[in-house]
Amino acid sequence: MKKVLSLLLMVMLATAVYAGGQQGDKDMADGGDVTVTMFQLKVEIKDALDAYAAKYSEMTPGVTVKVETLGGGADFGGAMKAKAQAGEMPDIFVIEGKGGYDVWKDYIANLDDQPWLKDTDLAFMVDGSAYGFPVAIEGYGLAYNADILAKAGIDPATLTTRSAYEKAFMTLEAKKDELGIDAPVAMAASVAGGMWWVAGQHNLAAYWGGGLDFNDTSVIEEALAGKMDEPRFREYAKYVQLLFKYADQNILLNGSYDDQVGSFAQGKTAFLHQGNWVDPNMKQLGVTFKMGYAPHAFTEKPQTGLYLFAPSWYCVNSQSPRAEEAKAFLTAMATTADGQSYIVNEAGMIPAFKSVEIKPTGQLSQALMAANAKGGNYGVFFGMLPDGAGQNVFGPIYDLFAQNQDDLEQFIADMKDAFAQLPNM
Amino acid sequence: MNNKRLVNILFLFPTVFAFVMIIVVPFFFGLYYSLTDWNGVSPNINFIGFKHYMNLFTLPDFLHSFVITIAFTAINVILVNIVSFSLSLIVTSNLKLRNFYRAGFFVPYLIGGIVLGYIWQFLFNNIFLAIGDSLSIGFLQASFLSKPDTVIWAMSVVNTWQYSGYLMLIYVASIQSIPASLMEAAQVDGAPYLKRVIHILIPMMANAFTISLFLTLTNSFKLFDMNFTLTNGGPATRFLGTPVKASQMFAMNIVDTAQANKMAEAQAKAVVLFLTLVIVALIQVTINKRKEVEM
Repeated sequence: MKKVLSLLLMVMLATAVYAGGQQGDKDMADGGDVTVTMFQLKVEIKDALDAYAAKYSEMTPGVTVKVETLGGGADFGGAMKAKAQAGEMPDIFVIEGKGGYDVWKDYIANLDDQPWLKDTDLAFMVDGSAYGFPVAIEGYGLAYNADILAKAGIDPATLTTRSAYEKAFMTLEAKKDELGIDAPVAMAASVAGGMWWVAGQHNLAAYWGGGLDFNDTSVIEEALAGKMDEPRFREYAKYVQLLFKYADQNILLNGSYDDQVGSFAQGKTAFLHQGNWVDPNMKQLGVTFKMGYAPHAFTEKPQTGLYLFAPSWYCVNSQSPRAEEAKAFLTAMATTADGQSYIVNEAGMIPAFKSVEIKPTGQLSQALMAANAKGGNYGVFFGMLPDGAGQNVFGPIYDLFAQNQDDLEQFIADMKDAFAQLPNM
Repeated sequence: MNNKRLVNILFLFPTVFAFVMIIVVPFFFGLYYSLTDWNGVSPNINFIGFKHYMNLFTLPDFLHSFVITIAFTAINVILVNIVSFSLSLIVTSNLKLRNFYRAGFFVPYLIGGIVLGYIWQFLFNNIFLAIGDSLSIGFLQASFLSKPDTVIWAMSVVNTWQYSGYLMLIYVASIQSIPASLMEAAQVDGAPYLKRVIHILIPMMANAFTISLFLTLTNSFKLFDMNFTLTNGGPATRFLGTPVKASQMFAMNIVDTAQANKMAEAQAKAVVLFLTLVIVALIQVTINKRKEVEM
């Protein structure tokens, strides 16, 4: 028996030594070079970011930046956890707000001393200290096809109240054949298509922040305490009902992102409920018509602002020996001409840094930049909700409302119950 | 110690080692985590006892996924086995091109659940709708995947399409192991085909039924990949007064819980899934074993 045991032990030892040796060889082969790994979830900027990382690696001797992208509704959080457990935490990773910060705070480096910090208002802050590099400014309203609206005789500037929308939708519905459209609105609320976030996060954000001051979080804080502002919610619910009623029903009930964006890009719908991140898609699809943003005006009191936010932040892994190189990469992105050109021209994003002077080419991004300059916009606060609230709680409620669009009272009651559950989540 | 024993141990070692490291150790870790409030990342792990287990049965989405999983399993066990048994009868008859059919029925099993889910989603959401619209067939004009009461049947059809070829092979092997003389004797005695199948074939291949029922039962019960790609849990429906995802099965409910950074709660659900599956499978195998005959 002893013999067997010692033999087994030898095999195991040999395996361990071999594995260890391999690791050592790899480090040697790099010739002292440092590889900074980045893990991010925006599929639409993957090619641009890969190209920028390659360029940066070329310009910076001794540093190679490798970007890994996982997205399109994939489980980024799960993949991050797997990496953390495997001891392969990336040096730069993405969080999408308070929820992500709470989970990963042991790995998030303080960025207070970074040069780009004074150039932005949208860094991820906790107790006055910066922990996240804002990836971009994103935002949305109800995107419109200006050509179709012009043909139907609708002035998008008048769309500032719910009744104005109702009138516009009715006009479009009546002229459907003449305009060659399937439905006035392309909106998806489908849990199955993975589109719960359009309604459950972005549209619901109109209730949280619409018509209020940019940093006014009173409505969502009330909800987090379990309460609903019922008169305000009723106004909002009627607006949701309106959007659902005039949406292409197939897209609403089982459409995917591609169905929704594709239908608008082909001129089959006049409005699209998506943010400026569709600009690269529009370019790919060869869209030539003029477009812009109208506000999500759910009250009778005119609302003119759009919804603006930094959707995600890059964080530096505080436990990585390559943290300094990672910070330098982010700094270069924010401050060098190459980096700024990547953000604006290649990735088509709106930079969160004030000193950047290049303008994005996407029409919707330009509309957002104009709105940002004009002011009077609304904040987006769904990042304050508990993890899983959008996907597992609000998503099904909107989906069910989309299936039974006449049942406004049930929708309000369901949402009220859901709000009451929020403090326990 | 003799040489043979050493060889035996050496041959066994890799498998046992892998089994212990990949199945046994994580299983006990999992049991432990299900009794804590771990979120999957944090180094702070607090022991909270059976709190998760007691909460589970007050959660409408969990109860619904439990119910829907049992319903889906029941439909599936019947549907898949009827279809695969019929297919095995067809491909063991004197059919022309029967090897071609055997291969053809088996091919869907070779396609992974992910690809298969997307293919069928496209069929349900686009092709069927296009057919329904152009031919004005009412029930095809809304996707089967968008209605809470049809989605489970759509899933069963896809699952049957995928698995029946595989089970067919098991049945075919079993049919071929039965001596042809038995069937011939019955034929000479004047028993019609259906009678021969019911009274000779089916009892003689009871062990194949045990295996096939066990495979369909466990596969349907822990189904995830096809559920995820085909329906993603949707559409929504109402259960116990709360909106829940109509086709979110047990495994997917666990994954969704884990994604919401409730690792410990998800682990507790996984333990419940394990226990349920063990109990149901044991009952099924015991009942089936009693029906088996030895030659």
